[in-house]
Amino acid sequence: MIDGRYFPPGSSRAVAASLAGGPGRLALKREDEPQAQAVVLMSVSDPLAGVPRKLTFADGGVFEAPLEADVDGFLNMGGSFFARLTRLEANLGLVAAAAVVTIGLVFAIYRFGIPLLASGAAAITPPPIVAAMDRGTLETVDRVVFSPSELDEGRKQELQAMFDELAGFADDAGPALKLQLRRGGAIGANALALPGGTIVVTDELVALAASDDEIAGVIAHEIGHVRERHSLQQIYRVLGIGFMVGLIGGDASQLVDDVVTQASALQTLVYSREFETHADLYSVALMARAGRDPLAFVDLLDRIVRAAGGSDETGWLATHPGTKDRREAVRKRVKELGEAGETARN
Amino acid sequence: MTSLKTAAASREAPDHLGFSFTGRALEYFGIWIVNLLLSIITLGIYTAWAKVRRLRYFYGNTWLDGHNFEYHARPVKILIGRIIVVALLVAYNLLVSISPIFGLLIILYLLAFPWLLNKSMAFNARMTSYRNVRLNFRGSYWGAFLAFVIMPIVALLTAGLLFPLASKLSNDYIGRHLGYGSARFETRAPLKALYGNLGATILFVIMVTLVCAGIGFLVGSSLVTAGNMMQGGGDELLDVLTFGPVTGALIGGYIALALAYLFYAAGVRNIAYNHTVLDGQHHLTSSVNRMRYVWILVSNLFATILSLGLLRPWAAIRTWRYLVSSTGLLAAGPLDHFVDEAAPEGNVGAAEFFDIEGIDFGL
Repeated sequence: MIDGRYFPPGSSRAVAASLAGGPGRLALKREDEPQAQAVVLMSVSDPLAGVPRKLTFADGGVFEAPLEADVDGFLNMGGSFFARLTRLEANLGLVAAAAVVTIGLVFAIYRFGIPLLASGAAAITPPPIVAAMDRGTLETVDRVVFSPSELDEGRKQELQAMFDELAGFADDAGPALKLQLRRGGAIGANALALPGGTIVVTDELVALAASDDEIAGVIAHEIGHVRERHSLQQIYRVLGIGFMVGLIGGDASQLVDDVVTQASALQTLVYSREFETHADLYSVALMARAGRDPLAFVDLLDRIVRAAGGSDETGWLATHPGTKDRREAVRKRVKELGEAGETARN
Repeated sequence: MTSLKTAAASREAPDHLGFSFTGRALEYFGIWIVNLLLSIITLGIYTAWAKVRRLRYFYGNTWLDGHNFEYHARPVKILIGRIIVVALLVAYNLLVSISPIFGLLIILYLLAFPWLLNKSMAFNARMTSYRNVRLNFRGSYWGAFLAFVIMPIVALLTAGLLFPLASKLSNDYIGRHLGYGSARFETRAPLKALYGNLGATILFVIMVTLVCAGIGFLVGSSLVTAGNMMQGGGDELLDVLTFGPVTGALIGGYIALALAYLFYAAGVRNIAYNHTVLDGQHHLTSSVNRMRYVWILVSNLFATILSLGLLRPWAAIRTWRYLVSSTGLLAAGPLDHFVDEAAPEGNVGAAEFFDIEGIDFGL
């Protein structure tokens, strides 16, 4: 028997009452009524620390058991999922173990799970969607920053021929590569790759280059972004991190939310740097295959950075690795390729 | 005889009942970490169950006059709502990245917003009960359109001068359409007090801006001085010398604005609650100290970040406890005369939309 209080159907009036009997034949005895009445149990609220259990009957009446009452034992329904969960939540040792496992999982998902899922998702994104994204982005940037290229026809044809030559050496898998020449305006000497294979090179970059190999190196770098699906992966990684933050901060207040969002924006920059390094390495390999100088584009980058007045250290906030680090990485890669080539020849 | 009794009862001073919270940080930590672990293992599916368990813990440990609150939503319904909302958000983001023209969908969203808001409020109200009687919410489309779409825009256009009016309209709207069983709430937030709150907020902003900007300025300058001493002079250093302190001061100003929002919102809560009546006789009270509220949220933020999230449960309990213990009810008599009524269920999808998008109303 459990002593508690009873709310008649739809009423806020509490009456002292007791519940007797057992599962299937419950009898409710209200203090203000002489006779016990038979009641049919509809549902019982799940156990939870500090919260009294409430038993709802078929007619809408509710019996509230005191906190210390063994409701599960009384109803003969021990061992439900939430009963076990409640015991787990109150066991400090198990809670500590859960905390350790959770921290490990969060780290593993962030470091390996999300990048893996993002590259998988990028690989299965339907080509028509990717092509549509290219059209949309190009439309926007044409309206906002770019104007038509002012290079003369001969130079344009030379660049197109060089682009076709490089595209021929790039692996076939993935969207067709297209060159677009534009006047950069506000963004100056720059090149960008859209996920659907469109590569934009600005007049200013062409003007700043001391040799065609320098331009070719930058184009090869952008081809690397397209072939390794970096833009798409970036989109999916940001989505994945947003999802994970939502999962962890489910009950977070506005303030925490804002800060975490800023932090994940910072994180996408770190991801971008990883992509830039990969594209550099891709460029080195492609340039070597095309028989061009793989180191040349680093000199061009130096000049771009100087023109923009930046520093050549890798800054925490910089999207692109600093040119110092970059030159080292590229040189190392060239050396590795050279050694591999020699081994193959021997 | 009956009239004599009523007269006697009405002469009695109303009972001031305080809300209290019995949740404990360590206890909630266990619930929180288990929720998190199960959510990760099930790839997010368990989040619906986790949400119900979290809200049941907070509501269930909140007491008034010897009775606790209850949260009744069924996890499966919440899961379905979540899946629909996430699918829509993903589709929207995909469409926008395909063509910026789809950004125009935002107009559709603004038109649907009042409806979504009403359905969401109705769901959350309907899932909350106290003493076996549930809350309910019956909004009107144009009322919500005025209070939550038009007024915020107008307030921004008038450089914040009409913020108090916007606060009045939104709080009155919520209060007026909220019910407890067949009894209705009524909120009439006085404009004068709301403008007083805006004045206090402006003073607060000036004070915090001075402090934050000062700290930013000092940090900026001392970094520059340190740099100067290590590397000698140079033109580049001259640039930093002029911009370091300015940047510091700007960041300080930005922080001041974020804090001002919290300060202002806490003041509005007090005013709105203190002018809310249930069933024409029971008065809500709220006595949140604005400075203390800002301090609690800011220190919570630092504790949460420095502990890499592990102190989040402690912080959540601390905020909730403070708000609950600052709330009371001047009851004109016993609270046992309320009766439940059939009320619209609301829409779980709408409720989940506001949950996922982090849109919050009041405190």
